[in-house]
Amino acid sequence: MVLLETRGLTKSFGGLVAVDGVDLAIEEGESISVIGPNGAGKSTLINLVTRMLDPTAGEIEFKGESITGYEPHEVVQKGVSRSFQTASIFPELSVEENAQIASLAAEHGSFRLNFLRHRDNYGEVEASAREILDAVDLLGQRNVTAEDLPYGDKRRLELAIALASEPDLLLMDEPTAGMSPEETAATVRLIERVKEELGLTILLVEHDMEVVFNVADRIVVLHRGAVIAEGAPEEVQGDPEVQEAYLGGVEA
Amino acid sequence: MSDEPTETADAAEDGGAVVERTRRRFPSWSRAVESEWFVVGATTVAVALFPWLFARAPVVSDLLNGYQDLASLILIWGIFAMGFNLLLGYTGLLSFGHAAFWGGAAYAAGLFSTQVSSSPLLIVAAGTVFAALLAWVLGFVALRRGGIYFAILTLAFGQMMYYMALSPLSGITNGENGYTDVEVGQLFGSFHLRYPVPGLDWLLGTWQYVFVGAITVLCVALAYRVLNSPYGMVFRAIRENEQRAEFVGLNVWRYKLMAFIISGSLAGVAGSLFTIHGSYVPLESLYWTTSGEVVIMAVLGGVGSLFGPILGAGLYLYVENITSGIRELTVPLTDVVLLDGFGAYWHLILGLVFVAVIVLFPRGIWGLFRDVAAGIRRLGGGRR
Amino acid sequence: MFLVADGVVLVVALDRVITILLNGLQQGAIYVLVAIGLSIILGTLKFVNFAHGALYLIGTYAGLLVTLQIQPTGGRLADWGYATLGLGWGFLAALVIVPVVVFVVGLLMERFVARPFYDRPDTDQILLTFGLAIVVQEVFKILFGGQSYNFARPAWASGPVHLPVVGAFPEWRLYVIGITAVVVVLVYALIEYTDFGLVVRAGTRDAEMVQLLGIKLSRPYLMVFGVGAALAGVAGVVGGPLYAVNPNIGTEVLVPSFLVVVIGGVGSITGAVLGGILIGETLAILVAVAPQWSQVGIYLLAAIVLLARPQGLLGTEEVAP
Repeated sequence: MVLLETRGLTKSFGGLVAVDGVDLAIEEGESISVIGPNGAGKSTLINLVTRMLDPTAGEIEFKGESITGYEPHEVVQKGVSRSFQTASIFPELSVEENAQIASLAAEHGSFRLNFLRHRDNYGEVEASAREILDAVDLLGQRNVTAEDLPYGDKRRLELAIALASEPDLLLMDEPTAGMSPEETAATVRLIERVKEELGLTILLVEHDMEVVFNVADRIVVLHRGAVIAEGAPEEVQGDPEVQEAYLGGVEA
Repeated sequence: MSDEPTETADAAEDGGAVVERTRRRFPSWSRAVESEWFVVGATTVAVALFPWLFARAPVVSDLLNGYQDLASLILIWGIFAMGFNLLLGYTGLLSFGHAAFWGGAAYAAGLFSTQVSSSPLLIVAAGTVFAALLAWVLGFVALRRGGIYFAILTLAFGQMMYYMALSPLSGITNGENGYTDVEVGQLFGSFHLRYPVPGLDWLLGTWQYVFVGAITVLCVALAYRVLNSPYGMVFRAIRENEQRAEFVGLNVWRYKLMAFIISGSLAGVAGSLFTIHGSYVPLESLYWTTSGEVVIMAVLGGVGSLFGPILGAGLYLYVENITSGIRELTVPLTDVVLLDGFGAYWHLILGLVFVAVIVLFPRGIWGLFRDVAAGIRRLGGGRR
Repeated sequence: MFLVADGVVLVVALDRVITILLNGLQQGAIYVLVAIGLSIILGTLKFVNFAHGALYLIGTYAGLLVTLQIQPTGGRLADWGYATLGLGWGFLAALVIVPVVVFVVGLLMERFVARPFYDRPDTDQILLTFGLAIVVQEVFKILFGGQSYNFARPAWASGPVHLPVVGAFPEWRLYVIGITAVVVVLVYALIEYTDFGLVVRAGTRDAEMVQLLGIKLSRPYLMVFGVGAALAGVAGVVGGPLYAVNPNIGTEVLVPSFLVVVIGGVGSITGAVLGGILIGETLAILVAVAPQWSQVGIYLLAAIVLLARPQGLLGTEEVAP
């Protein structure tokens, strides 16, 4: 079953076309990776799917339903969660509270009138937050203020926040950017593990080819906003057009 | 997957260094301090002792030069500043238009007292409901633009309210003279607010103080509960990283609107009490300077805490009403004059202190106290 | 009233209409000058300057002191024995000197107030500049007293001038419109055709596009602040003779100028001009038709624009949901 589908998705800023008529279909349970040189429109694509940006043209469907007119939080509530390029966390809150906020949104929906009810009455939120923190090995640091975590752990916390939203589809924008090789390896293992345990579908934007080949079942190559190649990792690797696109661009 | 053990070892390693930095918990005391009953109880005691300490206690009151009326005024502004701070300190939204809720509620309360009922409780209820509805409408427009625009738009709509009361509505509001027809009746039909409390007047003074004090405690309890509900967590999440909050699936816009309404309602409670307190609604209660005053109070006292703004309100009003009366600033115990005409400088000095607080102690005076207290505790705990 | 078919009545109405429109243009001119500075500083530096009104205040007092000689009363300066103050060099000297003075004040403000706060949250920037505005206002109040000074119009422009159709019209108001028009054209040219202007234009466009193009915006922030300040200084000089001069005028001009920015769209000079004219005309028309609604009207106008077009009439940036 197709989980996410985009048709003719286009975004232009002024005269610059960042994403140009992208048709994408992601099957449930699939791991797909979007690669391409700098400025190819990868992040813009994620921002369009998560409704952070309005598309100039095109359609986005999730679970067979159009989400083109949705607000970002509605998209999340439908089951699309994302991580950002920079560790996007709640710096002055504790690690546990970071996860609880996402669990709260997952358990209670986007809004509720419960401002006179004490937090202690929400055991299920606490339980699910702890479960996620355990899954990413941050449970031991749950009382630490998030900004005091080392960088690798911050990225892991961000992943925990994304997972605590209980997504069906997880979009990751360069999850290993700025990481040491060890941290990168640990992150790849973590992604593979949660994918298996939670049955996630993954869309990964990544520069590190090793990560891409480890995680992805299928690769989509973006160049100047348009899809120039698509297929299994081995197929894409040999594609002359892809090599052409990378020549002169930033080495991936 | 095969390297699993290595990974756990890694995590434990960098985790170890961090755990070292976490605050050690003082189980019984700190949990007691954070419990709702403790907060409400301590507030009640503080509110009860305040007018005595401020206006009548031996030695202390002579030093402070306080008086009963100022004590209730401080509590009223304290509620205002606390409500304002739910927005600034916890949700990260800076409103420059809170005079609209304070003054709007003050006018609504005044009109209600003449037109409908002079029961103090009903007056407060009417003013508060008005402020809540107004916050709903203004928030709807002002929150359309995020961040910096919010301050500008709240300022603008606050000023609109001022000009509404000044001119088009002057038939009802009495224009620039302020609303003078306020009628305040007896509490529960039997306690005259201006009369002393029999047997306890040495402690509490008048029934009016009891009324204002009780509502203060109620507002503190309410604000504390809100901050410990899911809303408290969501508000802080919005302050910390609004985009992330939206992308975990929270309807940030509606939560911000709720923060605005709750904050505006508390400002409304305070504004209604202000009408009862003075039996008069000055037009300036809607002017932007009133919004500016509550901003200064909250920031001086400390935006990171529930009680900081109340402290800030006390400090501001104290300087405004008592310190400003000092003609000459002299070196203590001598006749050497440091600054002649000191009273004229109080606003400038407050402005300079305000700037200093923002630059040097963003958590305000209350934050400073807490840092000092934490330092002492760390010294005490150093023996481990 | 204006649609009466009888020729005589129509002419009578027409002169009134044009007078109102000219008044609105003059009123809007002051807001335009203040708003352009606010707008380019906000658009380029992402810095909200609540102390921008203080720059106007400084400009007005400086203009007063360069143009005339005054007898300070009520403030500390009077207590200290200054019977007369000011250079008395006339208005044209003020028009040249004051913008330079306020330009320098703007540079100092960028260097010592704004720059240390670029990395702090927006709310801290607003609080800081708000505090600064209070301090400046209080300093003027303490020095010159809280009362109003009369900033007399220059003799060569103080009388009425006779315009076709309109009849008698205060000459000074025409000068305000004219000076503003010249200054706005100069600033527009500066931003549209110079390297300095490129920074302003790039900074106020879509931030994502700027990132995509790889432009680094670390250059003349200082200049943006200085130019914005100088414009507030010009506004102070030409606006001074229109209104009474007292320590509150800074904040009084700030709020409508913010509305101009919101209505016109951040970072857009033409937007500021359009917003300023709209607000000025709304005020002038309402003063003539329904004076008690005049002030309320401009806020309603801002609310309507905002609901219909959150980014402002000529704003280009995308509005985050």
